[in-house]
Amino acid sequence: MIQKKYAIQIDDLTVAYNYKPVLWDIDLLIPEGVLMAVVGPNGAGKSTLIKAILGIIKPIAGSVKIFGKPYKKQVNKVAYVPQKGSVDWDFPTTSLDVVMMGTYGSLGWIKRPGSKEKKQALEALEKVGMLEFKNRQISQLSGGQQQRIFLARALVQNASIYLMDEPFQGVDATTEKAIINILKELRKAGKTLVVVHHDLQTVPEYFDWVTFLNVKGIASGQVKEIFNDNNLTKTYGINYKVAINK
Amino acid sequence: MTSAQLEIQIIAALVAMACAIPGTFLVLRKMAMISDAISHSILPGLVLGFFITNDLNSPFLILLAAITGVVTVVLVEFIQKTGLVKEDTAIGLVFPALFSIGVILIAKNANDVHLDIDAVLLGELAFAPFDRLEVNAIDIGPKSLWVIGTILLTTISLLLLFFKELKLSTFDKGLATTLGFSPLLLHYGLMTVSSITVVGAFDAVGAILVVALIIAPAATAYLLTDSLKKMLLISCFLGVFSAISGYWMANFLDASIAGSMTTMLGIIFLIVYLFAPKRGVFSVIYKEKHQRIEVSLLVFLLHLQNHVEIEERHVDHLQKHINWGKVKSKTILDLAQKNNLIKLSGNIVNLTEKGTEFTEEALRYITTNKETAIEDLKAKFFLFRG
Repeated sequence: MIQKKYAIQIDDLTVAYNYKPVLWDIDLLIPEGVLMAVVGPNGAGKSTLIKAILGIIKPIAGSVKIFGKPYKKQVNKVAYVPQKGSVDWDFPTTSLDVVMMGTYGSLGWIKRPGSKEKKQALEALEKVGMLEFKNRQISQLSGGQQQRIFLARALVQNASIYLMDEPFQGVDATTEKAIINILKELRKAGKTLVVVHHDLQTVPEYFDWVTFLNVKGIASGQVKEIFNDNNLTKTYGINYKVAINK
Repeated sequence: MTSAQLEIQIIAALVAMACAIPGTFLVLRKMAMISDAISHSILPGLVLGFFITNDLNSPFLILLAAITGVVTVVLVEFIQKTGLVKEDTAIGLVFPALFSIGVILIAKNANDVHLDIDAVLLGELAFAPFDRLEVNAIDIGPKSLWVIGTILLTTISLLLLFFKELKLSTFDKGLATTLGFSPLLLHYGLMTVSSITVVGAFDAVGAILVVALIIAPAATAYLLTDSLKKMLLISCFLGVFSAISGYWMANFLDASIAGSMTTMLGIIFLIVYLFAPKRGVFSVIYKEKHQRIEVSLLVFLLHLQNHVEIEERHVDHLQKHINWGKVKSKTILDLAQKNNLIKLSGNIVNLTEKGTEFTEEALRYITTNKETAIEDLKAKFFLFRG
């Protein structure tokens, strides 16, 4: 039997905080090479889904496979862009240094980053248009710039799968355009991207694949096939137009 | 300077450095108070070890006390994880409990051991040179010098080996996990090093002052630099500086060495807190004052650009129209004139060419909020800098 190749395969995943389930029995297949939005209301478990895929949160049931293997064996194939608020931006370090952190995974323990890693980091900074801010202390960056630094850090990981938790949060329109262009480029290069997204209006424009989530999995598939009134109502509990204008 | 004096200063300097290194990471991890918990709760471990070995510098005693330190951290985290009490409450519950066990143990055996509450709280650096280490009947220096020296060397080696991992897990625990590093292992590694350091420093500076040696140099360095490496170096330097200057202060005042060292740390922190170039209190006040003036200047220029009518641009009118006090409007007029942004013909204010250009650029920045635009402004004009 020939199995279709899935970048991420999630089976019966249940995650709970203090025994209160936030994700209930999720089954999700994410094909390789899609640019996928994860949408759902607040508290739907979108960030939790990403963290569970990465093993940051331990599920109480179910399994996650990355290209058919457990995450621990595929660490270098996955890059993660966390929410901007997840770190302390007053930390004494520069943009370049934060981006270099993306290379630590391939370096492993003890080995230190050298000129090769620095070159990769500089290239990534250039890609996100942040080269001129390379020596800037990170608290001196604007919200949009901080988001780009996180994106650059994921780029140097040179992974096959990119998991992003609200990369468009608190960024201006120009930065949003710049980020989405980079995401589309990555997809063209055959990468798989999973993006927690809030703005329903831009889903058809930005993404080709979508997953509706509200504690349980509602639907997952191609945007042009399943991004409709029915699924939006099921996910948000209100009608499509209201949800989209929210 | 006698050799005993020299030895005391070297021990004090080594203790300060050994404390400053884990202290830097504890401060950045917002865990400064855990050092307070460790420094108190190692007491029962220390006392038990002392009963067994009868030697405050025995490796066995240090190990036992360090284990108590790590147990403290585990207990605090365990209580906190139940979600019934907050972290600071958990810390406040655990360490007095352990500390009091130590106090009772000492009190019950106070008559026959050389370990008293004063020494526990404040340490006694002055006695350090009397307890010598001998190898084959040859004196090779004070025991505590060897103990703290070994601890410092171990700390520095671990720091050099795991600097990258410590930095990553301190800045972004989530990324550290996803890249296959174990933040938990690093966390307990840091806790173990902190505990061992506290035990090693305990003899010299006691349970209360060791907290100052851990937190103060790091907190001071944090205000002075934007780089983690520099923060570590500055912490160590400040620690050593306070240790040595504190020693001489104690000598001069005929007071406690540990107390004087800590006082020096406090004084240095206060000076930096007030006068640090970028983050000091005065620098922040100065910056805010300037920003207020610059915003007023911009309002003024925009007003000039928006109004061609002579009466709107009369100096006297401006003062009441834009709602400024007299001093301020003069400051702003002067500032604008000094930078050739306006020229006065009689009492009527006109924008110069540079003034018009500046106003337009500033306006463009405010409306588009594009960072590149502000970079230009910073270079070209004095406004928006810093």
